[in-house]
Order: sequence, then structure tokens, then C-alpha cells
Amino acid sequence: LSGRSVAVKDTICTKDMKTTCSSAMLKEFQSPFDATVVSILRQQDAMLIGKTNCDEFGMGSHNLHSVHGPVVNPHVPPLTSVASGKRSAGGSSGGSAAAVAAGLCYAALSTDTGGSTRLPAAYCGVAGFKPSYGLISRWGVVSFADSLDCVGILARHSSEVKNVFGKHATAHPLQPDVLNLYDPKDPTSAPTEVRNAAKQDSMSFRDAVRNRQRLDGVRIGIPEEYFPKELEPSSLTTFKGLVQRLRTSGAQVSRVSLPNTRYALSAYYVIASAEASSNLARYTGVHYGTRVPASHSVDKKKTSNVYSHTRSRGFGHEVQKRILLGTYALSADAFDNYFLQAQQIRKLVRDDFERVLRHPSALSSPSKDATLRRSGVDFILYPTAIGSAPSLDEAKNMSELEVYLQDVLTVPTSLAGLPTLSVPIGLGDDGWPLGASLTGQWGHDESVLELGDIVERVSRESAL
Amino acid sequence: MFRRCVGFRREIKRVIQLRTLSSDVSYDKRWPGWQVVVGLEVHAQLKSRAKLFSNSWTSTYDEVPNSHVAPFDAAFPGTLPKLNANCVDLALRAAFALDSNPQRRSSFDRKHYFYSDLPSGYQITQYYAPISKGGSIYLPKSQRTVRINQIQLEQDTAKTTFIPRAQSSTVDLNRAGSALIEIVSEPDMRSPEEAGEYIRALQLLLRSVAASDCNMEEGSFRCDANVSVCPKEAGDDVSNFGTRCEIKNLNSVKFMMIAITAEVMRHINIISNGGKVSQETRGFDEHTADTYLLRSKEDAPDYRYMPDPNLPPLILHDSYIMSVREGMPELPDATRSRLLSRGLSERDVEFLISVDGGREVGFDGKLGRGGAIAFFDLVSEGRDAKSAFNWITHDLYGLLVVRSMTFKENPISVNQMRDLLDLLERDQVTAPSAKILLKHIVDSRSLEKPKVLAQKLGLMALKENAGQLEEMCRAAIDALPEEAAVVRAGNERVLNKLVGHVMRSSRGRANATAVHKKLREMLQQ
Repeated sequence: LSGRSVAVKDTICTKDMKTTCSSAMLKEFQSPFDATVVSILRQQDAMLIGKTNCDEFGMGSHNLHSVHGPVVNPHVPPLTSVASGKRSAGGSSGGSAAAVAAGLCYAALSTDTGGSTRLPAAYCGVAGFKPSYGLISRWGVVSFADSLDCVGILARHSSEVKNVFGKHATAHPLQPDVLNLYDPKDPTSAPTEVRNAAKQDSMSFRDAVRNRQRLDGVRIGIPEEYFPKELEPSSLTTFKGLVQRLRTSGAQVSRVSLPNTRYALSAYYVIASAEASSNLARYTGVHYGTRVPASHSVDKKKTSNVYSHTRSRGFGHEVQKRILLGTYALSADAFDNYFLQAQQIRKLVRDDFERVLRHPSALSSPSKDATLRRSGVDFILYPTAIGSAPSLDEAKNMSELEVYLQDVLTVPTSLAGLPTLSVPIGLGDDGWPLGASLTGQWGHDESVLELGDIVERVSRESAL
Repeated sequence: MFRRCVGFRREIKRVIQLRTLSSDVSYDKRWPGWQVVVGLEVHAQLKSRAKLFSNSWTSTYDEVPNSHVAPFDAAFPGTLPKLNANCVDLALRAAFALDSNPQRRSSFDRKHYFYSDLPSGYQITQYYAPISKGGSIYLPKSQRTVRINQIQLEQDTAKTTFIPRAQSSTVDLNRAGSALIEIVSEPDMRSPEEAGEYIRALQLLLRSVAASDCNMEEGSFRCDANVSVCPKEAGDDVSNFGTRCEIKNLNSVKFMMIAITAEVMRHINIISNGGKVSQETRGFDEHTADTYLLRSKEDAPDYRYMPDPNLPPLILHDSYIMSVREGMPELPDATRSRLLSRGLSERDVEFLISVDGGREVGFDGKLGRGGAIAFFDLVSEGRDAKSAFNWITHDLYGLLVVRSMTFKENPISVNQMRDLLDLLERDQVTAPSAKILLKHIVDSRSLEKPKVLAQKLGLMALKENAGQLEEMCRAAIDALPEEAAVVRAGNERVLNKLVGHVMRSSRGRANATAVHKKLREMLQQ
């Protein structure tokens, strides 16, 4: 990565640049240490060109909730398409996706908790990767929801994402991976044995595919629950076209069912909000960050009276809303009905994927006897978003429920911790980019990236 | 009101009558007819080098504020917890010391509340699944077994100090994130004195396995007391117990006992006047010797306990638990039986244990220096235990006490002590000479072998077959002719005066028994 320019999302700590998380709370904050991913990039001689805008603390789907103002999608539609003014770059990592799409950098680091890397990737027409949970270190990545947060990678093409994630295409096999490394400072970083076990499982696919560039023998499943009525017709058409071309390339495409998908969005928002309310409790202005002093009339004996001044002014509306919802979900009255239930649904969602995938997860079973399931698939394929990027006005006027619905297709694999890559598959009828998501088994990240490469090429070839 | 009081007095009278009818003699004169119920929650800071979830070092109470703070301790954005395995070991040792059952699976939870001593807005503790359950401590003086409910690992908070002048508080993060174990007892204690004995026993046990310094003055040992009262007949049936109040932050055993007494009287007062005790959290004012309201039940916060998503469950394999058990220092009971088996009396053993109580607790479970028992073990190896014991506890320790030194500061090495005892055994020095040598080494901190010192100071014993002995005896007989005559006449007791003369002129180097024998020989001729 020597000399390559990389932009870093502003929720990832950098020693030499401010880390604001797009929040008034951390407007002038400078971290005393680099995130592990930043240290690695520096060691690799990458050029860190700056921090990118995002939704405050990673909470949002359109990158509208930022103290720096909204991000504008840099895509220029063909002259023949309908003019629609400025459009959203997606969120929460809108800035990172826009920077890559606009050609400002080779790649950008982002985060992905419920789709924050994949959604902007689809909207901006670039490749966006959410790795398996636990592969890329979260040390120095400001926590939103610890059990869901992943560092994401955005670049124009899957092959470039691969260079930032793992080994360079021409690198020596013994050279260490770039970002895909165990970090002892991160307690959720997957140990080496488990990483290797998963890699072993997926090796045969990678070898087969790399040489032939065809997909014979590769089983791809399309989940029937991932086509909600809200899905835009143009997206559906483009997606169907892709599926046809993949079949032509030799892939065995079949329909699969992930029945608990319909509960995933609610479960996600309960868990994410609950964890966010916990992780954001530290922002009080006492040790760092913005501090808004309480007036003299305030009874300072009660700590929350003092803190509320800083927190009410420092947090944006969306963040405040999620903190309140999350606090409620954890309260004694609501805990069993919301938080516990959501965790149980999460397990069901994970089990859905485990049932459908051919390889068992290296996390739950010993890799020695990885018996393949006869009817399983290697990968799951589905549209990344329910449509192309909404206009900024449209996004601003959406109801809260409509906004959260943007995440309906991305959230399940976040709950399951599985690697998912959104690849650009062409432009929709309105001339704006569309993306398709590829999900693999835990730890099969390199395979997902290989397949992404092929899917991209197949899409490009058809466009010609 | 009057009628109610009268009715209540009748009730008390009846209770007293009942009691005198029963064979129960052990009632407390302070509150006749009442049963006091006390449960204690103790927070002991683990003696680990590093903190529970970060690399910064655990600090002592007198260090420069905010000098041992990692970004994680100050809850900086992007920091994550990393469990310190040493803390797990020390917590397991504490569990074994208290006869508690280590759990194969325990987990960490976040306890949320806002306070200036809690930078992250939550404390990482073990609410749903603690590291150890059950256990007990036997209190010999009170003849009571106090059961332990559970032991859990948790983070310590920062230290806040209120500055009245500035009307603000300062926050010292040195303590933030240090490892604590919380030991929760069952409400088995029945008097302030039992609570006191429990605390002292707990301190001894935890120090003996090097889990904690257990120093209340320095803040490495804090306790909260849960107190309630009920009529004596309630016995041990929990459903009959009265409403309890919690008294927080008691700084010494003495104050704890006073606080419990004050709280008991407060409860009795309320109930005697027809009122009901409400569940409260109270503080203790050392100046007024009274408790005061901190928080009522309605104000009790909802801590919104949530499993910490960063920390996987702690799974302990049997082999690991066993290795901790085997690697830990001796428990007091094991020490007692071992020392008794070496021929020491029970009194000797208790004394040695109490002197040993002042030894240092090493970091991360290593045995600290200055232990009297370790010293005794090494010195007495392969020799008569009783004689080693006497010389260590009577002569050596006596010298230290007079000089206001603790055993920790003992300047004599094990080898020097062993040499000294060897010299004594071989009659190469006399007892009086040995005492002089001991004193010399303590005062001069000499590193030389006692044999060398004895020669230098001219303290080697006079050899019996040398002519010196006969000379000195002759000199004594000449110096004390009257006493000599009395002895010749048959009164042997006066012989001791002549022995004394020889001992003085030999500066204690003559063997008293040999002198006695020689004089008798010479005078009986």
C-alpha cells in the first residue's frame, strides 16, 4: 500500500488529526493514540489524507446527521437520465464512500454496524466491504454497538478492497495480511487458530475460482425474504439481470429461505440502541470533549443535573433519540421484553444463515470435521438497498420508520457477524448506482472478495 | 400513642419473661429481647500489579493523583477492556481461602449510573454470574459460622474529594479500573462484635493467600453493613427478619461496630415508638457516631445491567482451577496444623501467626517479604523447632519490638540465625553470649557470620578442658571465701553465687553447667 492514499472515517482515532465522530460533543477532540488499523496503514506507508464526514457516532442511513453538514453523493448521472438534484451518499459512512467515488483517494476506512459501509457503497457506486466480525481490530474505533461494530473498507473495486484487507494480489504468500490481523488489544479479535480454521475451509473455492474466472460448482443462494414490497422495480430488474449472467458463468443459483429475516430489523434497533446508550454514557465533558457548564441555579449535588447540560447540547437529535430508546430497552421494566427478546431473535437469525450455508462456522464447530451440507450454498446474493440513493430533500422528509427501513437488507448479516461485500452492479433507470451484496460464512472473507471481483467483471461485461 | 407504648412495653416484658423461662442465656444486655441481624459486603482491592482491564499499574493511596491512568481508565473513545489473568488467579485464591466454589463459567456485566467517579458511565462487574458462589468463615471467639453468598470481580471507581472552599470536587483516576473482589456474606452475624471478628478473620485469610493488602486505612479494604432487628424469637428464619438498612463506607472496624450499634438502636427506637423501619441507604458520621440518610428506597437507581459485549464469558477449566489451588500460599488452618505437628504449642502457633500477620503482601500473588513464619520455617529446618521458635519470637522479636521495628524490618538473615543456633547447639557460645551477638547484629546490621563475629568480639565459649575454667573457679573461691565455706559445709544453693562470679568474670563465656560442676568438684574435695 506504499504511497496509496487512504481516507479515514471520523469515528476512527488518529493521533495527528481530530476525531470528531461528526459530533459537537467531540468537535475539538484529538485522540492520544492511533487506532490499530491506522497504525497498520502508517506502517505500510499509506498516505492518510484526512478524516471523512459521517453520521454522528455512526448513527444514520443518509449521512444527514452531522455537525459538519450532510454529505453529497458525487455521482454524476448520464445526461439522458432525469435530473434529480443532490442526492444522499448514504450513511453512516457517506463521507468515506463519497471520497472514493469522487476519486479523492485509493481507498477509505469506514465502520459498519448495520449497513453503514454497504449502503453508501451501493448509493455511490463503489465496492464496500463489511468483514467477518472479529477479524479487523476495533481498538481505536469509537464504539457505537460493540457486538455489531466492524471496520469497513471502501474502494472503487473489490480487488482494491482486497489489497487493503488482506494480501496484495502479487504479494508473497508469507507476507502478513494488511488489516486482517489479530490484535491482542481488542478482546473481540478472533484468535489465530479460528481464523486459520475458517481460511482452510474456504481455500478450495479460492483456488478453483482464481484460476478459471468462472463459477462452475459455486452455489449461490438468493433469500426469498430479501425482496420486500418497498424494493424499487429498477433495482429488481438490474438484480435479475445479474443473476442471469452469473448462471451463464456457471454458478448454481438457487432460492433459499431465511425465515427470521422479518424480525431482524426490530431486533437490530433494540440491540444497537441499547448498546449505544451504554457506550455513549461516557460523553460528559469531564475528561475530554465539549463541556457545557451548568448554570448556578442547578442543584449540582445530583450528577445527572450537571451532565445533562453537556449531553443535551453535545448530542444531535438522532443520537439523543437512540440513547433514550436504548436506555428504555435496558430498564428493569423493559429488559425482558425488548433486550432479551432481541438477543433471542439474533440467535434465530444467525441460525438461519448457518442452516443455509454449506460450510459450518469455524466459531461453533471444530474445523477438523467440517462436513459439508449437501443442500447448502457457498454464498448468499441479494440487493444491497431497496433502491438507488434518495435525494437529499427526500431523505430529510422521510418518516423515521422509512429511514430505518433502508437498513432492512443489510442488518441481518450484521446480527450474524458474517462477511458481506456490496459490489456496484450498474446504474438503475434513474441513472444512479445500484449494488448487490454477497455474504459468505464467517471467516471466508477472501472468498467473498474473490467472488466480488468476478461479479463486478460480469456486470461490467454486460454493460458493454 | 400512650396506649400503644404501654402495649409495647407489655410486649417487651412478656418477651423478657419468655426468655428467662427459656434456657437461652446468651442475650445481649444492650438490647434485651431483640435479635440483631448483620450482613456485610466487603470490597477488597486485589494486589495485582496491573488493573483489572488495562495495563496501568494499581497505585497506593499516597501516589501523585492521575499518575497511573491508561486511556481506558479515563474512558477515552475507542478504548476496549482486556482482562488481566492475574486478577482471576487472585480472585480464585480468595475463593479457596473462603471455602467458596469457583464457577466454571462466569461473565461480566455493565452496571450503569452517572457519577463523577465513574468515567465511562458504567462499572464492569459480575451481576448475573459471579466467579465464585458459597463458602463460609468460622469465627472462633463468637463461635459462629458466617456463610458467604458470593464473590465477584469488579472495577474500582475513581476517588473524588470534595473541596468545600471551592465548592467543587476533584477526581483522581489512579484508582479507576483497579481490580476489586466483592465478598457478600449472608446475614448470619448477630452482633457488632461478630461483625468485627468477621472482618478481622477475612483480612487474615485474604492476606495469607496474598490476594489483597486488606488495609482499611489505605482504602484497599472497604465494607458496607446491612443491619436489621427483629424479636429474638425470630431465630434464623429469614422471612421473620426486619427491614434492613445499608450503612456505606465504613472506614475502620471500630467505626463499623459503632455504626452498627447506632443503627440497631435507631431501629429499636422506631419500632418501640410504633413506627416502621423504611429501607434506606445510610452513611455514618464519625463525629456524631450516628447514621444519616443517603438515599431512600424510592430513589434507588435502576442500574440497567447489561452483559458487556466486549468481554466473552470467563470459562475456567478444572485443571486451571486446580493449578491455582496448588500454587497458592498456605491457608491459616494448614499453617496451624503444620506448626503444631512440629511440636509447638497452640499458644506458640497463634503468636507466630499474629507476628506473621504484619508481613508484606507481594504483587500478583507472590509471597511478600518479612514473614515470621517463612523465617521460622527456614531457620528451624532440620533442627529443634521449639528452640528456634523461642530464639525467634522471644529474643529476636523482643529486640525488634523494643526498637519499634516490625518483623518486616528484621536485619538478620536466615543463614545468620541458623549459624547462631548451630553455635549454641555445639556449645560454642553460651546463651548469654548468643543474646549479645543477636543484639549486635540487629544494631550494626552486620552481614558477617555469627561465628566470625563471636571470635572478633571475644564471645566464643570457654572450652571446658582448658585450664581457664579451673583458674576462674579458683579465683571465685578465693574471692568469696565465706560462700565457699558455706558450700563446703553442705549448702549447695550458695554455690550459685560462686557460679555467678565466674560467669561475670568470664563475661558469660563459661558454660554455666560446667562451672557449677567444676566448683562443686573443687569444693567437695
